[in-house]
Amino acid sequence: MKNLKTILDNTSGISGYRISEKNVKSYELFFVHRSLETVRSTDTKATWVTVYVEHDGAVGDSNFPVFESMSDDDIREKIKTAAARAMLVSNQPYELPAGGELEAELPTNLDKYEPETLGRMIADAVFDADDVPGGSINALEIFIYRDEKHVVNSRGVDKKETVHRVMIEAIPTFTDEKQSVELYEDYRFTVFDKEKITAEIREKMKETADRYKAEKPGRELSINVVLRPFEIASLCGELSYDCNYQSIYSHANLHKEGDDLQTGDGDKINLTMRSVIEGSENSAFFDGDGASLTDKQIIKDGVICGSFGSVRFGQYLGVKEPSGSLGCIELGAGTLTDEETEKEPYLECASMSGIQIDLYNDYIGGEIRLAYLHENGKITPVTGISMSAKLSEVLSTLRLSEKTDVSRNYKGPVKLLMKGVSVL
Amino acid sequence: MPFSAYLDSMREDCRELVAELKKSFDYVSVLGTDVRSSVYRADRRMSMAADGEGECGFVIKMHSGKSFYEYSCDDISGDKKALAAKIISAVKTDPALVSRQISAAAVKDEPMKKDFVRETDFAGFTDEYLLGVCKQISNEICAKDEKVLNAFGMIMPYTVSKLFVTANRELSQHYGWANGYSMAIYNDGRMVQTRHVEGSDKLSEVIENTKASVDEVVELARHLVKAQPIKPGVYDVITDASITGLIAHEAFGHGVEMDQFVKDRALAKNCVGEYVASPITNMHDGAAAAHSVASYFFDDDGVLAHDTQIIKDGILVAGLSDLASATQLGTEPTGNGRRDNYRRKAYSRMTNTFFTPGKDKLEDMIASVKHGYMLFETNNGMEDPKNWQIQCTAEYGIEIVDGKLTDNYVSPVVMSGYVPDLLKSISMISDTFKVEGSGFCGKGYKEWVRVSDGGPNLKVRVKLG
Repeated sequence: MKNLKTILDNTSGISGYRISEKNVKSYELFFVHRSLETVRSTDTKATWVTVYVEHDGAVGDSNFPVFESMSDDDIREKIKTAAARAMLVSNQPYELPAGGELEAELPTNLDKYEPETLGRMIADAVFDADDVPGGSINALEIFIYRDEKHVVNSRGVDKKETVHRVMIEAIPTFTDEKQSVELYEDYRFTVFDKEKITAEIREKMKETADRYKAEKPGRELSINVVLRPFEIASLCGELSYDCNYQSIYSHANLHKEGDDLQTGDGDKINLTMRSVIEGSENSAFFDGDGASLTDKQIIKDGVICGSFGSVRFGQYLGVKEPSGSLGCIELGAGTLTDEETEKEPYLECASMSGIQIDLYNDYIGGEIRLAYLHENGKITPVTGISMSAKLSEVLSTLRLSEKTDVSRNYKGPVKLLMKGVSVL
Repeated sequence: MPFSAYLDSMREDCRELVAELKKSFDYVSVLGTDVRSSVYRADRRMSMAADGEGECGFVIKMHSGKSFYEYSCDDISGDKKALAAKIISAVKTDPALVSRQISAAAVKDEPMKKDFVRETDFAGFTDEYLLGVCKQISNEICAKDEKVLNAFGMIMPYTVSKLFVTANRELSQHYGWANGYSMAIYNDGRMVQTRHVEGSDKLSEVIENTKASVDEVVELARHLVKAQPIKPGVYDVITDASITGLIAHEAFGHGVEMDQFVKDRALAKNCVGEYVASPITNMHDGAAAAHSVASYFFDDDGVLAHDTQIIKDGILVAGLSDLASATQLGTEPTGNGRRDNYRRKAYSRMTNTFFTPGKDKLEDMIASVKHGYMLFETNNGMEDPKNWQIQCTAEYGIEIVDGKLTDNYVSPVVMSGYVPDLLKSISMISDTFKVEGSGFCGKGYKEWVRVSDGGPNLKVRVKLG
């Protein structure tokens, strides 16, 4: 980084630069059933340089990766090529973030263990949940990461951030002589908690056993459907896309500030983009430009009230203090209680192939791998079904639970209830 | 553009590292990668000419006689004894897990020394020209209709150099591919996005075909703003090549990736030799099976490219494997060991996956449908190889009534159901064939690799929603 900065500082013909470096060290374990198939380790660095050239009242930029294989002369040649490319690009001028030194680390306890020890502890925590009769974990992948990010630019930004994180991909399976079914578990954390891991996997093991018992409902349904945090986060992500500076600048946003997404009597959506959510690996202290981050509410009581995004596109839209690119999202709690949910029959989606949300086509739907049909005091696992609904109608009438939790980059209600959804 | 000069200069380093690590492991390979790409993009308000995602580094794979180890790094120059010691330390295993390692058979290391090159025409195009093409595409789409809010032209060429070295094997390959995109954002009371995608190792073809797509994206946008949601139900469906490919890929391809067999994660494992599709159905996969985006010469395990027939006359005959899964299953690897990049593990992955053509004429297929839809353009899909459920989304469909395509467009269209039901419902296959190479495929929700898929038009019966 130091050498690269010196070369860039001594390069004429550019008006600015940004160096973005990410060093990732990982320790990875791959299990086939309970047996260890592969042990991996990585120690790699990804460095990107962006050069900026002011010309003809506009700004051009171009970037390139710097590989370990490159000599200083190679880098000088890449800078020269990037500067020439930037001369071909005529974008609206903008200022890079200025000043600010920072060295931050997300709270963690992962750094207290040797990687191979932590890997074994995580594996033990997962396999401790493998005690459901008929169940097994057919595959397990454990990724232990230490990410060091470093952003430097020509206007004095010099910020470093360290994130320790773990991703577990587990495949709980339930088998007997007739059939075998599985579900997919992707669990991420920044703090090791053995009991929490085991509880998470055990819950998924139980759901897999339920999928085994699940049958296709004998009829088409028009019913209340309850989504869980992973799918709620997808919906929030889609809504936030409309409020991103870049979407607005490129005319890709469907809704604009002041638009009311909720004309019905459901719980009102309050959506805030955040830099840090405790326990989320997506938490950050600065964005890819090295800009400081400011939390920003984008939907208030169902009405779009703000926008967020990078310094560059914020400036393009005339935003005085752009928020920076915020990676976490918080949805305000609603009023839905468990008792209220149970008043009418409903379908609780436990596992979907991937929820499909299309703002343009006013659509929400997808294939459901496992759901629980709550009806007449009974809970019946069901599978082999698909749901579809008009997104605008869902937004108008949705209900949000009082209870909240954190899932990846999302903090918010654990349940979102959609009314009268078609299930085939 | 020749093979990477850097990788060429690292051949001896690779050999020395293999020799050093062979003192501790039965089998050692070093894969060096040098992938370079560029992105040219223009819309109504912005433009871009820059490098795209690339990679340059090494992954060292080792087999102890029992299980596998891998180490990824950016550089292998310098003291090989010290590097070998660092690698061995980095893949150290907790003592409690050592007794739980698999016992896979020894890895074969057949002697071979070969250099593969497929030339491109990329060097004949300047940055200025390519960005100019993108600006021209954007401007022309915007000029077509005042309801176009924004339009994009994008061209992305990339080149791949890979070097694979073991004690007995030294392979190198160099090839390239380019994609072109045109896209419109259109608002006529309702907003829609339409796009056209091109792919070829001839940049000249990509440029011409992308430029020629301007009318198509605007015309499609005019139809899609009027599109209605489909009434959920089970319909007779005619697929375009893209949707055929989506079915080949999502419905069946993931289920025959043999690392899933090892984990008992694929229903297909128990169906080899059985009818899984209608008897008129034939399906292939392989880097050597078609000329498209995944047409490499050897995979990331150093196994030469194959053409694997997966379904023959409706019967499942073979799966796709990487080195690790083939070793555990006692089969020969099929050249399907692929990595997202040198930082990631190799898995069994699809390459170019397609159904082969039949004898039917498309017009006869459409004429045979009383009421149904013709589906176009892949949006996305998700596999479920264990339970053979599928979810595939088409960008749009056109209603067929009494054997004729109407002007009634529906969008989006989600196909879902049970894979064997879908494949056994194939009743007609067109005599046309097209493989499209513009997509990326994930394993679960990660490990992205470039793939192509396609084939002829199919007539199937499937649930749409």
